[in-house]
Amino acid sequence: MAASDEASRQFAGLSDVSISEDIPVEGDISVPLGPSSRQRDDEFSTLDEPVKETILRDLRAVGSKFIHVLYPKRSTALLRDWDLWGPLLLCVTLALLLQGGAADSDDQGGPQFAEVFVIVWFGSIIITLNSKLLGGTISFFQSLCVLGYCIMPLTAAMAVCRIVLVGGAGKVSFAVRLVVVTLSFGWSTFASTAFLGDSQPPGRKALVVYPVFLFYFVIGWMILTFSPSQ
Amino acid sequence: MADDTEDVELDFAADEQERARRSAVLRHPLASFFHLFFRVVAIVAYLLCDWISENFAPCFVLIITLLSFDFWSVKNVTGRLLVGLRWWNQIDDDGKSLWVFEAKKASRGNNIGTEAEARIFWLGLIICPLIWTFFFFTSLFSLKIKWLSLVVASISLQVANLYGYLRCKAVGEDGQPADSRSFTGQHLLQRPDIIFGIL
Repeated sequence: MAASDEASRQFAGLSDVSISEDIPVEGDISVPLGPSSRQRDDEFSTLDEPVKETILRDLRAVGSKFIHVLYPKRSTALLRDWDLWGPLLLCVTLALLLQGGAADSDDQGGPQFAEVFVIVWFGSIIITLNSKLLGGTISFFQSLCVLGYCIMPLTAAMAVCRIVLVGGAGKVSFAVRLVVVTLSFGWSTFASTAFLGDSQPPGRKALVVYPVFLFYFVIGWMILTFSPSQ
Repeated sequence: MADDTEDVELDFAADEQERARRSAVLRHPLASFFHLFFRVVAIVAYLLCDWISENFAPCFVLIITLLSFDFWSVKNVTGRLLVGLRWWNQIDDDGKSLWVFEAKKASRGNNIGTEAEARIFWLGLIICPLIWTFFFFTSLFSLKIKWLSLVVASISLQVANLYGYLRCKAVGEDGQPADSRSFTGQHLLQRPDIIFGIL
């Protein structure tokens, strides 16, 4: 009796005791993100062509986000798998398109290259901080992702404006540019509120949407007032 | 047990491959090359642009592109291959953001890099942000504000990876729990460290 008591006492606290074969043992290792960690394990072990697959996967993710901005409707697509490639690409494109006017001189033809970057990125950071301080549940990078992707309509408007400006800078071209920029500004703001909307506390929505409105307004203003140097 | 007396096939070819792999100086030469390539080219480009004083915009775009590629490749590829560390961000179902830092446990079947590769990895990871910090001060004190924005962007990209991998390393050095083997069977134990953060 004493021996078996001692034996069971010995086994009582041990966690690495080996388990006999007729008791089925199963379960997850204590990673709270069960299914996705198994997915990551597959990534780890399938190293045959990891780089190409990873690149393609990321490209597809970026492409799908662009499509979501084209047809904005209430969805969490941009939020779940955030990435900052799209915002980077759009920012660079916008800055390059806004470049032709100044060309390194300090004229008022167009904003300098770094200014566009600073405005876009610091503007997004400040808006994100604002929404977090107002109690939003969205994370920092998710918000940057959404704001960056929703610059796409304005970048397209910039491209259109450059084309229109080739034809001349008179009143007609200004009217056309005004219409284009206003439409795309509305589109950007609408898209970003569609994606960010659910994460904000109720009753604070206006307080969160207003800086976004201002942000895209400033960018739209930069686009509208761009004039190429002669 | 009947299993012990069964005939076991000896695979000499695989053994030799295994031995060659284990004694190689660099198991992932391509990964090691790319780990350093983008960072070093970005630094060189910055120096050349600064001294030749070309147009600012193409230089900026070039360096940011190089550093973005570097960020992606170090985070997604070379960290896994060279030192078996990985970190990422995941959004929960309730929208909470989790930062996960993982360290692969060293074991025989591993394809993690050799010591030389680990040294390449960490040296590249640490020295380049230091060089960019130096550039930060030189551009600050020479009042080249345009270049300052570029340097700040570069530093943030490089330091992000450095920080992520240092955290992964800290996870790996915490030691394994006593009962690790009974749960894993043949699987390599990966102990992630999960942070619920404000970022």
